[in-house]
Amino acid sequence: MMKYEKATLQDYGFKDYSQLKKIYSVLNKIMLTIVILMLYLSVIIIAIQSFNSSTDLSVFNKFTFKWYTEIFSNKMLTNAISNTFVVSIFATLLATILGTLIAIGINSLPQKKKQRMILLNNIPLLNADIVTGISLMFVFSLLMPIFPYIFGFPTLLMAHLFFTLPYVILSVLPKLKEMDPNIMDAATDLGVRPYRALTKVIVPAVKSGIFAGMLLAFTMSFDDFVISYFTTGNDFDNLSIWIYSSIGRKSLTPSVYAFSTLLTAFTLISLTIYNSFNKNKVKK
Amino acid sequence: MNNAFKKMSTPYLVWLYILALFPVAIMFILIFMNNEGMSLDEASFTFSNFAALGEPGNIVAFINSFKFAIISTIVIIIIGYFVAYRVFRSKFNNKFFVLTILILPMWSNLLLRIEALGNIMEPNNILVDLLSKINIDLYINIKGTELAIIIGFVFTYLPFMILPIYTALEKIDPSLEEAALDLGIPGIKKFWKVIIPMSYKGIITGSILVFLPILSGFAIPKILGKGNIISLGEVIERSFMNMSYNIGSLFAIIILILILGSIIIINKIDKEGELLL
Repeated sequence: MMKYEKATLQDYGFKDYSQLKKIYSVLNKIMLTIVILMLYLSVIIIAIQSFNSSTDLSVFNKFTFKWYTEIFSNKMLTNAISNTFVVSIFATLLATILGTLIAIGINSLPQKKKQRMILLNNIPLLNADIVTGISLMFVFSLLMPIFPYIFGFPTLLMAHLFFTLPYVILSVLPKLKEMDPNIMDAATDLGVRPYRALTKVIVPAVKSGIFAGMLLAFTMSFDDFVISYFTTGNDFDNLSIWIYSSIGRKSLTPSVYAFSTLLTAFTLISLTIYNSFNKNKVKK
Repeated sequence: MNNAFKKMSTPYLVWLYILALFPVAIMFILIFMNNEGMSLDEASFTFSNFAALGEPGNIVAFINSFKFAIISTIVIIIIGYFVAYRVFRSKFNNKFFVLTILILPMWSNLLLRIEALGNIMEPNNILVDLLSKINIDLYINIKGTELAIIIGFVFTYLPFMILPIYTALEKIDPSLEEAALDLGIPGIKKFWKVIIPMSYKGIITGSILVFLPILSGFAIPKILGKGNIISLGEVIERSFMNMSYNIGSLFAIIILILILGSIIIINKIDKEGELLL
Protein backbone atom coordinates (compact mmCIF):
# COMPACT_ATOMS: atom_id res chain seq x y z
CA MET A 1 0.00 0.00 0.00
CA MET A 2 1.33 3.44 -0.90
CA LYS A 3 1.75 5.95 1.84
CA TYR A 4 0.40 9.35 0.99
CA GLU A 5 1.39 12.47 2.84
CA LYS A 6 -1.34 13.85 4.97
CA ALA A 7 -2.79 16.95 3.34
CA THR A 8 -2.58 20.06 5.46
CA LEU A 9 -5.07 22.87 5.58
CA GLN A 10 -2.58 24.96 3.59
CA ASP A 11 -2.76 22.51 0.74
CA TYR A 12 -6.45 23.23 0.45
CA GLY A 13 -5.72 26.91 0.02
CA PHE A 14 -6.17 27.99 3.62
CA LYS A 15 -3.94 30.92 4.49
CA ASP A 16 -3.17 31.67 8.07
CA TYR A 17 -3.77 35.36 8.59
CA SER A 18 -3.85 35.35 12.38
CA GLN A 19 -0.27 36.60 12.66
CA LEU A 20 -0.91 39.34 10.12
CA LYS A 21 -4.10 40.29 11.91
CA LYS A 22 -2.25 40.87 15.16
CA ILE A 23 0.27 43.20 13.49
CA TYR A 24 -2.58 44.93 11.71
CA SER A 25 -4.49 45.61 14.92
CA VAL A 26 -1.38 46.90 16.72
CA LEU A 27 -0.62 49.15 13.76
CA ASN A 28 -4.19 50.40 13.88
CA LYS A 29 -3.92 51.30 17.54
CA ILE A 30 -0.65 53.16 16.99
CA MET A 31 -2.12 55.12 14.10
CA LEU A 32 -5.22 56.02 16.10
CA THR A 33 -3.08 57.26 18.98
CA ILE A 34 -1.04 59.39 16.59
CA VAL A 35 -4.19 60.93 15.14
CA ILE A 36 -5.60 61.73 18.58
CA LEU A 37 -2.26 63.25 19.62
CA MET A 38 -2.33 65.25 16.41
CA LEU A 39 -5.76 66.64 17.20
CA TYR A 40 -4.77 67.45 20.76
CA LEU A 41 -1.26 68.74 20.03
CA SER A 42 -2.26 72.38 19.89
CA VAL A 43 -4.46 72.09 22.98
CA ILE A 44 -1.55 70.53 24.87
CA ILE A 45 0.82 73.29 23.75
CA ILE A 46 -1.72 75.91 24.85
CA ALA A 47 -1.90 74.22 28.27
CA ILE A 48 1.89 74.10 28.61
CA GLN A 49 2.20 77.76 27.72
CA SER A 50 -0.47 78.72 30.23
CA PHE A 51 1.68 77.31 33.05
CA ASN A 52 4.90 78.90 31.86
CA SER A 53 6.11 81.78 34.03
CA SER A 54 8.06 83.36 31.18
CA THR A 55 6.27 85.40 28.50
CA ASP A 56 8.91 84.15 26.09
CA LEU A 57 7.27 81.37 24.13
CA SER A 58 10.50 79.51 23.37
CA VAL A 59 11.60 78.50 26.87
CA PHE A 60 9.77 76.89 29.74
CA ASN A 61 10.88 78.76 32.83
CA LYS A 62 8.91 77.80 35.91
CA PHE A 63 5.53 76.33 36.64
CA THR A 64 3.09 79.05 37.64
CA PHE A 65 -0.58 79.84 38.06
CA LYS A 66 -0.15 83.58 37.71
CA TRP A 67 -1.67 83.82 34.23
CA TYR A 68 -4.85 82.26 35.58
CA THR A 69 -5.27 84.98 38.16
CA GLU A 70 -4.40 87.63 35.60
CA ILE A 71 -7.29 86.65 33.33
CA PHE A 72 -9.56 88.82 35.45
CA SER A 73 -7.19 91.75 35.85
CA ASN A 74 -6.62 92.17 32.13
CA LYS A 75 -9.46 94.52 31.18
CA MET A 76 -9.18 94.11 27.43
CA LEU A 77 -9.27 90.34 27.73
CA THR A 78 -12.23 90.17 30.13
CA ASN A 79 -14.05 92.60 27.90
CA ALA A 80 -13.46 90.41 24.84
CA ILE A 81 -14.49 87.30 26.76
CA SER A 82 -17.71 88.82 28.05
CA ASN A 83 -18.55 90.17 24.59
CA THR A 84 -18.09 86.70 23.15
CA PHE A 85 -20.34 85.14 25.78
CA VAL A 86 -23.05 87.78 25.40
CA VAL A 87 -23.17 87.51 21.61
CA SER A 88 -23.02 83.70 21.58
CA ILE A 89 -25.67 83.24 24.26
CA PHE A 90 -28.09 85.72 22.72
CA ALA A 91 -27.52 84.39 19.21
CA THR A 92 -27.91 80.78 20.36
CA LEU A 93 -31.14 81.46 22.27
CA LEU A 94 -32.67 83.36 19.37
CA ALA A 95 -31.49 80.81 16.82
CA THR A 96 -32.86 77.92 18.88
CA ILE A 97 -36.32 79.42 19.30
CA LEU A 98 -36.67 80.86 15.80
CA GLY A 99 -34.93 77.91 14.16
CA THR A 100 -37.35 75.44 15.73
CA LEU A 101 -40.37 77.46 14.59
CA ILE A 102 -38.93 77.82 11.09
CA ALA A 103 -38.14 74.11 10.90
CA ILE A 104 -41.74 73.29 11.84
CA GLY A 105 -42.88 75.72 9.17
CA ILE A 106 -40.60 74.18 6.54
CA ASN A 107 -41.72 70.69 7.50
CA SER A 108 -45.36 71.52 6.85
CA LEU A 109 -44.66 72.90 3.38
CA PRO A 110 -45.45 70.84 0.27
CA GLN A 111 -42.54 68.73 -1.00
CA LYS A 112 -41.35 71.07 -3.79
CA LYS A 113 -41.29 74.20 -1.64
CA LYS A 114 -39.71 72.28 1.18
CA GLN A 115 -36.79 71.22 -1.01
CA ARG A 116 -36.30 74.77 -2.20
CA MET A 117 -36.18 76.02 1.37
CA ILE A 118 -33.64 73.36 2.32
CA LEU A 119 -31.53 74.39 -0.66
CA LEU A 120 -31.63 78.04 0.41
CA ASN A 121 -30.98 77.06 4.00
CA ASN A 122 -27.77 75.34 2.88
CA ILE A 123 -26.34 78.59 1.51
CA PRO A 124 -25.18 80.13 4.80
CA LEU A 125 -23.95 76.72 5.89
CA LEU A 126 -21.80 75.97 2.86
CA ASN A 127 -20.84 79.48 1.90
CA ALA A 128 -17.25 80.44 2.56
CA ASP A 129 -17.00 82.44 5.78
CA ILE A 130 -15.25 85.26 4.00
CA VAL A 131 -18.05 85.59 1.43
CA THR A 132 -20.73 85.47 4.13
CA GLY A 133 -18.86 88.11 6.12
CA ILE A 134 -18.54 90.43 3.15
CA SER A 135 -22.17 89.89 2.09
CA LEU A 136 -23.44 90.78 5.55
CA MET A 137 -21.14 93.78 5.68
CA PHE A 138 -22.69 95.03 2.42
CA VAL A 139 -26.23 94.76 3.75
CA PHE A 140 -25.34 96.33 7.10
CA SER A 141 -23.49 99.21 5.49
CA LEU A 142 -26.59 99.90 3.38
CA LEU A 143 -28.49 100.22 6.67
CA MET A 144 -25.96 102.76 7.93
CA PRO A 145 -27.82 105.88 6.68
CA ILE A 146 -30.88 104.83 8.74
CA PHE A 147 -29.05 103.49 11.81
CA PRO A 148 -25.65 105.23 11.97
CA TYR A 149 -24.36 103.27 14.97
CA ILE A 150 -25.43 99.85 13.80
CA PHE A 151 -21.91 98.37 13.50
CA GLY A 152 -21.01 96.68 16.76
CA PHE A 153 -23.24 94.53 18.93
CA PRO A 154 -26.39 94.64 16.72
CA THR A 155 -24.59 93.66 13.52
CA LEU A 156 -22.56 90.99 15.27
CA LEU A 157 -25.71 89.50 16.79
CA MET A 158 -27.52 89.50 13.44
CA ALA A 159 -24.52 87.95 11.69
CA HIS A 160 -24.27 85.21 14.29
CA LEU A 161 -28.01 84.58 14.08
CA PHE A 162 -27.64 84.35 10.31
CA PHE A 163 -25.09 81.54 10.36
CA THR A 164 -26.39 79.65 13.41
CA LEU A 165 -30.04 79.38 12.27
CA PRO A 166 -29.30 76.81 9.53
CA TYR A 167 -27.64 74.52 12.06
CA VAL A 168 -30.69 74.51 14.32
CA ILE A 169 -33.04 74.01 11.37
CA LEU A 170 -31.03 71.12 9.99
CA SER A 171 -30.92 69.44 13.41
CA VAL A 172 -34.65 69.77 14.02
CA LEU A 173 -35.92 68.81 10.54
CA PRO A 174 -34.98 65.09 10.63
CA LYS A 175 -36.64 64.72 14.04
CA LEU A 176 -39.80 66.31 12.70
CA LYS A 177 -39.78 63.85 9.82
CA GLU A 178 -39.49 60.93 12.23
CA MET A 179 -42.41 62.21 14.27
CA ASP A 180 -45.70 60.41 13.84
CA PRO A 181 -47.99 62.88 12.02
CA ASN A 182 -51.00 61.31 13.72
CA ILE A 183 -49.96 62.77 17.08
CA MET A 184 -50.61 66.23 15.76
CA ASP A 185 -53.95 65.19 14.22
CA ALA A 186 -54.94 63.55 17.48
CA ALA A 187 -54.14 66.73 19.37
CA THR A 188 -56.21 68.88 17.03
CA ASP A 189 -59.04 66.32 17.10
CA LEU A 190 -59.08 66.63 20.83
CA GLY A 191 -59.61 70.32 20.40
CA VAL A 192 -56.16 71.67 21.12
CA ARG A 193 -55.44 74.89 19.33
CA PRO A 194 -52.54 74.65 16.81
CA TYR A 195 -50.20 76.97 18.71
CA ARG A 196 -50.83 75.20 21.97
CA ALA A 197 -50.22 71.90 20.23
CA LEU A 198 -46.93 73.34 19.06
CA THR A 199 -45.61 73.79 22.57
CA LYS A 200 -47.32 70.77 24.12
CA VAL A 201 -46.92 68.19 21.37
CA ILE A 202 -44.35 69.03 18.72
CA VAL A 203 -41.62 70.66 20.80
CA PRO A 204 -41.42 67.80 23.33
CA ALA A 205 -41.28 65.31 20.47
CA VAL A 206 -38.31 66.95 18.77
CA LYS A 207 -36.51 67.96 21.99
CA SER A 208 -33.32 66.06 21.19
CA GLY A 209 -32.97 67.74 17.79
CA ILE A 210 -33.48 71.17 19.33
CA PHE A 211 -30.84 70.43 21.95
CA ALA A 212 -28.32 69.19 19.36
CA GLY A 213 -28.95 72.26 17.23
CA MET A 214 -28.50 74.55 20.21
CA LEU A 215 -25.16 72.97 21.08
CA LEU A 216 -23.96 73.25 17.49
CA ALA A 217 -25.11 76.84 17.22
CA PHE A 218 -23.28 77.82 20.40
CA THR A 219 -20.08 76.08 19.30
CA MET A 220 -20.12 77.78 15.91
CA SER A 221 -20.95 81.17 17.34
CA PHE A 222 -18.40 81.00 20.16
CA ASP A 223 -15.49 80.13 17.90
CA ASP A 224 -16.33 82.29 14.90
CA PHE A 225 -13.67 84.63 13.62
CA VAL A 226 -13.99 85.51 9.94
CA ILE A 227 -17.66 86.54 9.84
CA SER A 228 -17.32 88.52 13.08
CA TYR A 229 -14.18 90.19 11.73
CA PHE A 230 -16.10 91.68 8.82
CA THR A 231 -19.32 92.55 10.61
CA THR A 232 -18.31 94.08 13.91
CA GLY A 233 -17.63 97.73 14.64
CA ASN A 234 -14.43 99.34 15.85
CA ASP A 235 -15.14 99.20 19.56
CA PHE A 236 -16.74 95.79 19.87
CA ASP A 237 -14.26 92.92 19.77
CA ASN A 238 -15.03 89.31 20.44
CA LEU A 239 -12.34 86.93 21.64
CA SER A 240 -11.31 85.75 18.16
CA ILE A 241 -10.92 89.27 16.80
CA TRP A 242 -9.00 90.33 19.89
CA ILE A 243 -6.66 87.34 19.57
CA TYR A 244 -6.15 88.03 15.88
CA SER A 245 -5.16 91.63 16.44
CA SER A 246 -2.95 90.62 19.39
CA ILE A 247 -1.14 88.11 17.21
CA GLY A 248 -0.63 90.84 14.62
CA ARG A 249 0.90 93.13 17.28
CA LYS A 250 2.83 90.20 18.76
CA SER A 251 1.39 91.07 22.15
CA LEU A 252 -0.60 87.95 22.98
CA THR A 253 -0.76 87.59 26.76
CA PRO A 254 -0.44 84.06 28.18
CA SER A 255 -3.69 84.74 30.07
CA VAL A 256 -5.54 83.87 26.86
CA TYR A 257 -3.88 80.47 26.94
CA ALA A 258 -4.95 80.15 30.56
CA PHE A 259 -8.55 81.01 29.68
CA SER A 260 -8.57 78.54 26.81
CA THR A 261 -7.14 75.79 29.01
CA LEU A 262 -9.80 76.46 31.65
CA LEU A 263 -12.50 76.22 29.01
CA THR A 264 -11.14 72.97 27.58
CA ALA A 265 -10.81 71.46 31.05
CA PHE A 266 -14.36 72.54 31.88
CA THR A 267 -15.86 70.98 28.74
CA LEU A 268 -13.83 67.81 29.17
CA ILE A 269 -14.90 67.39 32.79
CA SER A 270 -18.56 68.18 32.20
CA LEU A 271 -18.60 65.82 29.26
CA THR A 272 -17.11 63.01 31.32
CA ILE A 273 -19.58 63.62 34.14
CA TYR A 274 -22.48 63.71 31.71
CA ASN A 275 -21.24 60.51 30.12
CA SER A 276 -20.82 58.56 33.36
CA PHE A 277 -24.17 59.84 34.58
CA ASN A 278 -25.82 58.59 31.40
CA LYS A 279 -24.12 55.22 31.64
CA ASN A 280 -25.53 54.69 35.12
CA LYS A 281 -28.97 55.51 33.89
CA VAL A 282 -28.76 52.94 31.12
CA LYS A 283 -27.58 50.24 33.52
CA LYS A 284 -30.46 50.75 35.88
CA MET B 1 -48.60 68.38 8.90
CA ASN B 2 -50.72 71.35 9.71
CA ASN B 3 -51.55 74.28 7.52
CA ALA B 4 -51.40 76.65 10.45
CA PHE B 5 -47.62 76.33 10.53
CA LYS B 6 -46.94 76.90 6.85
CA LYS B 7 -46.52 80.62 7.26
CA MET B 8 -43.82 80.27 9.89
CA SER B 9 -41.12 79.70 7.31
CA THR B 10 -42.02 82.73 5.18
CA PRO B 11 -40.09 85.33 7.24
CA TYR B 12 -37.05 83.12 7.00
CA LEU B 13 -37.37 83.08 3.21
CA VAL B 14 -37.35 86.89 3.23
CA TRP B 15 -34.40 86.91 5.65
CA LEU B 16 -32.42 84.59 3.38
CA TYR B 17 -33.23 86.66 0.31
CA ILE B 18 -32.06 89.85 2.00
CA LEU B 19 -28.96 88.53 3.72
CA ALA B 20 -27.83 85.73 1.41
CA LEU B 21 -28.99 86.45 -2.14
CA PHE B 22 -29.24 90.24 -2.32
CA PRO B 23 -25.54 90.84 -1.40
CA VAL B 24 -24.52 88.46 -4.16
CA ALA B 25 -26.35 90.70 -6.59
CA ILE B 26 -24.48 93.71 -5.18
CA MET B 27 -21.18 91.89 -5.59
CA PHE B 28 -22.06 90.99 -9.13
CA ILE B 29 -22.74 94.65 -9.96
CA LEU B 30 -19.58 95.79 -8.19
CA ILE B 31 -17.46 93.61 -10.49
CA PHE B 32 -18.39 95.84 -13.41
CA MET B 33 -18.02 99.10 -11.53
CA ASN B 34 -15.24 101.45 -10.75
CA ASN B 35 -15.86 103.07 -7.38
CA GLU B 36 -14.37 103.39 -3.97
CA GLY B 37 -15.86 101.39 -1.12
CA MET B 38 -19.63 101.45 -1.20
CA SER B 39 -19.98 105.05 -2.36
CA LEU B 40 -21.40 105.46 -5.82
CA ASP B 41 -19.94 108.93 -6.51
CA GLU B 42 -18.02 108.96 -9.77
CA ALA B 43 -18.89 105.32 -10.31
CA SER B 44 -18.67 104.11 -13.86
CA PHE B 45 -19.15 100.94 -15.80
CA THR B 46 -15.93 99.12 -16.60
CA PHE B 47 -14.36 95.79 -17.42
CA SER B 48 -10.98 96.84 -16.03
CA ASN B 49 -11.44 94.84 -12.82
CA PHE B 50 -10.95 91.62 -14.71
CA ALA B 51 -7.34 92.65 -15.33
CA ALA B 52 -6.72 91.75 -11.67
CA LEU B 53 -7.15 88.09 -12.62
CA GLY B 54 -4.00 88.28 -14.71
CA GLU B 55 -1.78 89.90 -12.09
CA PRO B 56 1.12 87.59 -11.19
CA GLY B 57 0.57 87.96 -7.44
CA ASN B 58 -3.07 86.95 -7.74
CA ILE B 59 -2.27 84.01 -9.99
CA VAL B 60 0.20 82.76 -7.39
CA ALA B 61 -2.46 83.18 -4.70
CA PHE B 62 -4.89 81.14 -6.80
CA ILE B 63 -2.43 78.34 -7.42
CA ASN B 64 -1.36 78.31 -3.76
CA SER B 65 -4.91 78.12 -2.42
CA PHE B 66 -5.92 75.34 -4.80
CA LYS B 67 -2.76 73.42 -4.01
CA PHE B 68 -3.39 73.71 -0.26
CA ALA B 69 -7.04 72.77 -0.64
CA ILE B 70 -6.43 69.73 -2.85
CA ILE B 71 -3.49 68.29 -0.90
CA SER B 72 -5.07 68.91 2.51
CA THR B 73 -8.42 67.46 1.44
CA ILE B 74 -6.80 64.25 0.17
CA VAL B 75 -4.76 63.84 3.36
CA ILE B 76 -7.84 64.59 5.47
CA ILE B 77 -9.96 62.04 3.57
CA ILE B 78 -7.39 59.30 4.18
CA ILE B 79 -6.87 60.05 7.87
CA GLY B 80 -10.53 60.92 8.46
CA TYR B 81 -11.78 57.73 6.85
CA PHE B 82 -9.35 55.70 8.88
CA VAL B 83 -10.46 57.27 12.17
CA ALA B 84 -14.18 57.10 11.36
CA TYR B 85 -13.85 53.46 10.31
CA ARG B 86 -11.88 52.57 13.43
CA VAL B 87 -14.45 54.18 15.70
CA PHE B 88 -17.28 52.53 13.76
CA ARG B 89 -15.63 49.09 14.10
CA SER B 90 -14.52 49.57 17.70
CA LYS B 91 -16.25 47.83 20.55
CA PHE B 92 -16.73 50.92 22.69
CA ASN B 93 -20.11 51.05 24.35
CA ASN B 94 -20.46 54.74 23.94
CA LYS B 95 -19.27 55.74 20.48
CA PHE B 96 -20.84 59.15 20.84
CA PHE B 97 -18.42 59.86 23.69
CA VAL B 98 -15.43 58.81 21.57
CA LEU B 99 -16.56 61.05 18.73
CA THR B 100 -17.00 63.96 21.11
CA ILE B 101 -13.48 63.42 22.41
CA LEU B 102 -12.27 63.62 18.82
CA ILE B 103 -14.01 66.93 18.14
CA LEU B 104 -13.37 68.44 21.56
CA PRO B 105 -10.25 70.40 20.44
CA MET B 106 -12.57 72.35 18.15
CA TRP B 107 -13.99 74.03 21.21
CA SER B 108 -10.88 76.00 21.96
CA ASN B 109 -10.34 79.03 19.84
CA LEU B 110 -9.19 78.29 16.30
CA LEU B 111 -6.74 81.18 16.08
CA LEU B 112 -5.20 80.32 19.41
CA ARG B 113 -4.69 76.72 18.34
CA ILE B 114 -3.07 77.85 15.09
CA GLU B 115 -0.83 80.27 16.94
CA ALA B 116 0.22 77.51 19.35
CA LEU B 117 0.88 75.20 16.43
CA GLY B 118 2.90 77.95 14.76
CA ASN B 119 4.98 78.42 17.90
CA ILE B 120 6.16 74.83 17.91
CA MET B 121 7.08 75.06 14.24
CA GLU B 122 9.85 77.54 15.03
CA PRO B 123 13.38 76.26 15.69
CA ASN B 124 13.44 77.46 19.30
CA ASN B 125 10.21 76.44 20.89
CA ILE B 126 8.75 75.35 24.15
CA LEU B 127 8.41 71.71 23.12
CA VAL B 128 12.08 71.48 22.09
CA ASP B 129 13.02 73.18 25.34
CA LEU B 130 11.00 70.74 27.43
CA LEU B 131 12.25 67.71 25.50
CA SER B 132 15.86 68.83 25.79
CA LYS B 133 15.45 68.71 29.57
CA ILE B 134 14.95 64.98 29.25
CA ASN B 135 17.75 64.73 26.70
CA ILE B 136 15.76 64.44 23.52
CA ASP B 137 17.00 66.78 20.85
CA LEU B 138 14.63 67.90 18.20
CA TYR B 139 14.98 70.38 15.41
CA ILE B 140 11.96 71.76 13.60
CA ASN B 141 11.93 74.79 11.42
CA ILE B 142 8.98 74.76 9.10
CA LYS B 143 7.05 77.91 9.99
CA GLY B 144 6.65 80.02 6.90
CA THR B 145 6.62 77.08 4.52
CA GLU B 146 3.81 75.50 2.54
CA LEU B 147 4.17 72.34 4.60
CA ALA B 148 3.36 74.32 7.75
CA ILE B 149 0.18 75.68 6.20
CA ILE B 150 -0.96 72.26 5.01
CA ILE B 151 -0.29 70.77 8.46
CA GLY B 152 -2.31 73.60 9.98
CA PHE B 153 -5.24 72.93 7.66
CA VAL B 154 -5.15 69.16 8.19
CA PHE B 155 -5.05 69.48 11.99
CA THR B 156 -7.87 72.02 11.99
CA TYR B 157 -10.34 70.49 9.55
CA LEU B 158 -9.92 66.77 10.25
CA PRO B 159 -12.97 66.59 12.59
CA PHE B 160 -15.19 67.97 9.83
CA MET B 161 -14.38 64.87 7.78
CA ILE B 162 -14.66 62.29 10.57
CA LEU B 163 -18.27 63.11 11.46
CA PRO B 164 -19.96 62.86 8.02
CA ILE B 165 -18.07 59.67 7.17
CA TYR B 166 -19.03 58.16 10.50
CA THR B 167 -22.68 59.07 9.93
CA ALA B 168 -22.57 57.44 6.49
CA LEU B 169 -20.93 54.29 7.89
CA GLU B 170 -23.58 54.03 10.61
CA LYS B 171 -26.30 54.00 7.97
CA ILE B 172 -24.90 50.95 6.15
CA ASP B 173 -27.18 47.96 6.61
CA PRO B 174 -25.12 45.32 8.47
CA SER B 175 -26.82 42.54 6.50
CA LEU B 176 -25.05 43.80 3.37
CA GLU B 177 -21.74 42.96 4.95
CA GLU B 178 -23.00 39.55 6.00
CA ALA B 179 -24.15 38.99 2.44
CA ALA B 180 -20.68 39.88 1.16
CA LEU B 181 -19.12 37.42 3.59
CA ASP B 182 -21.64 34.72 2.65
CA LEU B 183 -20.73 35.18 -0.98
CA GLY B 184 -17.11 34.58 -0.07
CA ILE B 185 -15.63 38.04 -0.51
CA PRO B 186 -12.53 38.41 1.65
CA GLY B 187 -12.04 41.30 4.08
CA ILE B 188 -10.09 43.80 2.05
CA LYS B 189 -12.11 43.29 -1.09
CA LYS B 190 -15.31 43.64 0.92
CA PHE B 191 -14.03 46.96 2.20
CA TRP B 192 -13.40 48.28 -1.31
CA LYS B 193 -16.51 46.84 -2.95
CA VAL B 194 -19.09 47.26 -0.20
CA ILE B 195 -18.07 49.67 2.54
CA ILE B 196 -16.43 52.42 0.47
CA PRO B 197 -19.20 52.67 -2.17
CA MET B 198 -21.83 52.71 0.58
CA SER B 199 -20.14 55.57 2.40
CA TYR B 200 -19.23 57.76 -0.58
CA LYS B 201 -21.90 60.29 0.40
CA GLY B 202 -20.07 60.91 3.64
CA ILE B 203 -16.80 61.38 1.79
CA ILE B 204 -18.35 63.88 -0.63
CA THR B 205 -20.08 65.86 2.12
CA GLY B 206 -16.92 65.89 4.21
CA SER B 207 -14.80 66.95 1.24
CA ILE B 208 -17.06 69.89 0.52
CA LEU B 209 -17.10 70.90 4.19
CA VAL B 210 -13.31 70.80 4.22
CA PHE B 211 -12.29 71.95 0.73
CA LEU B 212 -14.20 75.23 0.65
CA PRO B 213 -13.01 76.69 3.96
CA ILE B 214 -9.43 75.77 3.10
CA LEU B 215 -9.72 77.38 -0.31
CA SER B 216 -11.02 80.64 1.12
CA GLY B 217 -9.34 80.65 4.52
CA PHE B 218 -7.08 83.57 5.28
CA ALA B 219 -6.14 83.40 8.95
CA ILE B 220 -4.30 80.07 8.85
CA PRO B 221 -2.06 80.87 5.83
CA LYS B 222 -1.39 84.30 7.25
CA ILE B 223 -0.28 83.06 10.67
CA LEU B 224 1.57 79.92 9.60
CA GLY B 225 2.97 81.40 6.39
CA LYS B 226 4.57 84.31 8.26
CA GLY B 227 3.47 86.55 5.39
CA ASN B 228 5.69 84.71 2.90
CA ILE B 229 2.93 82.76 1.23
CA ILE B 230 -0.07 84.50 -0.23
CA SER B 231 -3.50 82.86 -0.49
CA LEU B 232 -6.82 83.58 -2.15
CA GLY B 233 -8.48 84.47 1.15
CA GLU B 234 -5.77 86.99 1.90
CA VAL B 235 -6.20 88.65 -1.50
CA ILE B 236 -9.91 89.08 -0.81
CA GLU B 237 -9.35 90.33 2.73
CA ARG B 238 -6.70 92.81 1.62
CA SER B 239 -8.88 94.14 -1.21
CA PHE B 240 -11.70 94.85 1.20
CA MET B 241 -9.41 96.42 3.79
CA ASN B 242 -7.98 98.70 1.07
CA MET B 243 -11.50 99.71 0.04
CA SER B 244 -11.12 98.20 -3.42
CA TYR B 245 -14.43 96.39 -3.17
CA ASN B 246 -14.60 95.74 -6.89
CA ILE B 247 -11.63 93.42 -7.04
CA GLY B 248 -12.55 91.81 -3.72
CA SER B 249 -16.03 91.10 -5.09
CA LEU B 250 -14.56 89.56 -8.22
CA PHE B 251 -12.62 86.99 -6.22
CA ALA B 252 -15.54 86.44 -3.86
CA ILE B 253 -17.79 85.68 -6.85
CA ILE B 254 -15.27 83.12 -8.10
CA ILE B 255 -15.42 81.34 -4.74
CA LEU B 256 -19.21 81.65 -4.81
CA ILE B 257 -19.39 79.86 -8.16
CA LEU B 258 -17.46 76.95 -6.67
CA ILE B 259 -19.78 76.95 -3.67
CA LEU B 260 -22.83 76.96 -5.91
CA GLY B 261 -21.46 73.89 -7.64
CA SER B 262 -21.05 72.12 -4.34
CA ILE B 263 -24.54 73.13 -3.16
CA ILE B 264 -25.91 71.52 -6.32
CA ILE B 265 -23.91 68.35 -5.63
CA ILE B 266 -25.09 68.25 -2.02
CA ASN B 267 -28.67 68.78 -3.11
CA LYS B 268 -28.40 65.92 -5.61
CA ILE B 269 -27.14 63.36 -3.15
CA ASP B 270 -29.04 64.63 -0.15
CA LYS B 271 -32.56 65.79 -0.91
CA GLU B 272 -33.83 65.96 2.64
CA GLY B 273 -30.91 67.82 4.19
CA GLU B 274 -29.82 64.96 6.39
CA LEU B 275 -26.17 64.57 5.59
CA LEU B 276 -24.71 67.91 6.43
CA LEU B 277 -25.06 67.44 10.15
